[in-house]
Amino acid sequence: MTSSPQPSNRKNRPLGKTVPAALLLPALIGLGISIVVAPTQPESESEIDYRPIELVDSDYVSSRTCQACHPSEYNSWYGSFHRTMTQVATPDTVRADFDGVQVENVHGRPMNLEEADGQYWAEFDDPNWDGPVVDRPRIRRKVVMITGSHHQNIYWYATGHDRSLNVLPGVYLIAEEQWAPRSSVVLHPPGQSLAMLDGHWNAICIVCHTTLGKTAFDTPFQTAPIDQQRVDTTVTEFGIACESCHGPAKAHIAANRNPLQRYGLHLAPEPDTTIVLPTRLDPKRSSQVCGQCHSVWEFYNTRDERQANSHGLPYRPGAELRDTRFIAQPSVDRTSPHIQTLVANDPEFVRGSFWPDGMIRVSGREYNGLLDSPCYNQASSADRTLTCFSCHSMHKSPDDPRSVSEWADTNQVSNGMESDAACLQCHSPIETNLTAHTKHSTNSSGSRCYNCHMPYTSYGLLKTVRSHTVTSPTATETAQLGRPNACNLCHLDKTLAWTSEWLNRWFDTPPPPLTEEDETVAASLLWLLRGDGGLRAITAQSMGWKPAQEVSGTSWMVPHLGEALGDPYDAVRFIAARSLRSLPSYTNLDFDFVSPRQVRIEAAIDLLRSWRNSGSARNRRDPELLLDENGELRLDLMRQLFDARDQRGLFLRE
Amino acid sequence: MITKQTSPSLPYAGRHLRFGWWSLLGFLTLGFALELLHGFKAGFYLDVSNETRRFMWTLAHAHGALLSLVHILFAVCLRVFPDTANSSSLRTTSAGLVAASLLLPGGFFAGGIQFYGGDPGLGILLVPIGATCLAVSVFQIARSLRLLPRSDKGW
Repeated sequence: MTSSPQPSNRKNRPLGKTVPAALLLPALIGLGISIVVAPTQPESESEIDYRPIELVDSDYVSSRTCQACHPSEYNSWYGSFHRTMTQVATPDTVRADFDGVQVENVHGRPMNLEEADGQYWAEFDDPNWDGPVVDRPRIRRKVVMITGSHHQNIYWYATGHDRSLNVLPGVYLIAEEQWAPRSSVVLHPPGQSLAMLDGHWNAICIVCHTTLGKTAFDTPFQTAPIDQQRVDTTVTEFGIACESCHGPAKAHIAANRNPLQRYGLHLAPEPDTTIVLPTRLDPKRSSQVCGQCHSVWEFYNTRDERQANSHGLPYRPGAELRDTRFIAQPSVDRTSPHIQTLVANDPEFVRGSFWPDGMIRVSGREYNGLLDSPCYNQASSADRTLTCFSCHSMHKSPDDPRSVSEWADTNQVSNGMESDAACLQCHSPIETNLTAHTKHSTNSSGSRCYNCHMPYTSYGLLKTVRSHTVTSPTATETAQLGRPNACNLCHLDKTLAWTSEWLNRWFDTPPPPLTEEDETVAASLLWLLRGDGGLRAITAQSMGWKPAQEVSGTSWMVPHLGEALGDPYDAVRFIAARSLRSLPSYTNLDFDFVSPRQVRIEAAIDLLRSWRNSGSARNRRDPELLLDENGELRLDLMRQLFDARDQRGLFLRE
Repeated sequence: MITKQTSPSLPYAGRHLRFGWWSLLGFLTLGFALELLHGFKAGFYLDVSNETRRFMWTLAHAHGALLSLVHILFAVCLRVFPDTANSSSLRTTSAGLVAASLLLPGGFFAGGIQFYGGDPGLGILLVPIGATCLAVSVFQIARSLRLLPRSDKGW
């Protein structure tokens, strides 16, 4: 007989030891899991003393906090190039090959790169050496930060003095998968030094490429040798993060920890007043959010600069931008004291960023273009005012079928706004009879609003971007200002006189006085042969633009782009080669835009020879293309135009 | 005449056994449906903008399936230890478990139908009610086990 355990008589201890044991078990399991899955901690930011660090303070919280409640917005921002504008150099962020690579043609001797244990090192000539060239020492520095992730990776090294950074003499071109000298990827006069000072990133780049960056120099940049300064640069976040556009979010977070508050906002039509939504601001304040970086601006005075040095820029989204900074707009305030001061300090200030009439000509400064647009400054009402958000969206819309990378890659243009729809938001009557307005067939590139009203007249990052000043094309802008007009940027094989005549015939646009060359030579060739470096870059780029190629033909472009392969400006040569590679039969063109001059000349001669021997060489015999009746180049005329070239040095401050 | 004395817990055992298995079938079907949404890459479920929905529906599936097993386990316990509960506590425990099985997964599922960014829809309010029902029931089950015989060592 077996005896079974007797029921307990300890009724005052009904749960006994079972409950503590049952509660302890999941706690131990949880602890075990957390130990197993806890990631290896990278070097803490607070332990780093050789580069700027992230330090969340003031009223900021960082994007990591925003992610929990706004996963969709966080995700599209995470995939944007705003986030990756500034990154710490790690194997995840470095796009270039560092493994035993040697970069030629940089300032001084070649730069040697190496990668070891996830760290990146560069050895190059000391850019700060001011002694005899032959004695210039080599320095080996750790590469710690990166600017850009879309078109270029610009690498920054720790100088060894506090947190100050300087730039590597080589830049990595992402699409081309090649290193190039930094001085070659900026459009600037040949032979002009582009050496930058230690601390350049801390003083200049930080302002727009991070979120609430604090330079923290103890004395103003360049007022004392960098090694005698204290540099304690911090940022709230590397890259342009949530709070750059929505403002500091500490109060927003505090208020919305309460679920009742959150659901009250979800169910009520009133917006949350604890955070700024740029799209809900009035049109002008809304665009200023973007304008805080996408504009040419300066501090009003040294005191403001010092204030920003210590506390970050004072502008907060929703505020009036001009209260805290001067927006340079030479189209309307060329004689203002601020512009005069800027020009006094830098005589090329206006020319380096603006066309002669004050229209912006460099990329990344689109707010300046918007300010001069009638759609913005002459709008009849707020809801018909052009803003950045009329066409762009900072977060991919859930109904946008594109992937985040596709959306980011197309400059964050909103779904559907890559087309005429952007303009038809206000100009819908035009759609009913498009051809009557455009004078081009409905489906042609000449009927696309952007192509006529936002032509590619701005330059930056070795390419052109559309003008963000919405205008109508005129021959006058070309004849009197030297700016390419939309018609001739597409009809590359036509003269300015041709454009003037058609604009006059179609739209009663007054024809300007024209020169003999304007009457007889294609406008594009005048720009390419006679224009300044910036104009030549724009023209070379246009020759690689598919709509222009379809309208103008391509066979005649080869010798002219070939001539541009010998351009003194590195950037022009680079663009000319890229456009050549977009032409049939030249896709495999072997040309190194920074090779020695003699090599480049030989490449150009080879190109010309192959063109002359090709069947397509004599497809065109138009005199305005500088071809004679046999299809041969009019070298005499080319020389004549070349001799008239605008030789003034041009440094575009992109 | 021989009369058979039956424990009041037995009808509950049958009830929860049936409820558990049918409920398990239902939530396994939901799991299958969710896998289909994965398989066909349904944007309204998988897109990052719908992350909250995905999370809520996953929780609905997981809670529903696990609670189904709880029902079955409860039924088995009632069969094995029929004398551990009186009929009034059984009624409360049973109702609580059933309510939890409806409110917890139902609340998660409803919270994922319409939602506000990272916040689920108002259906999520059912979840704490269901969780309370579940907690009460679990407490009662645990408490009822005090009537089970103990070992000599007291455990």
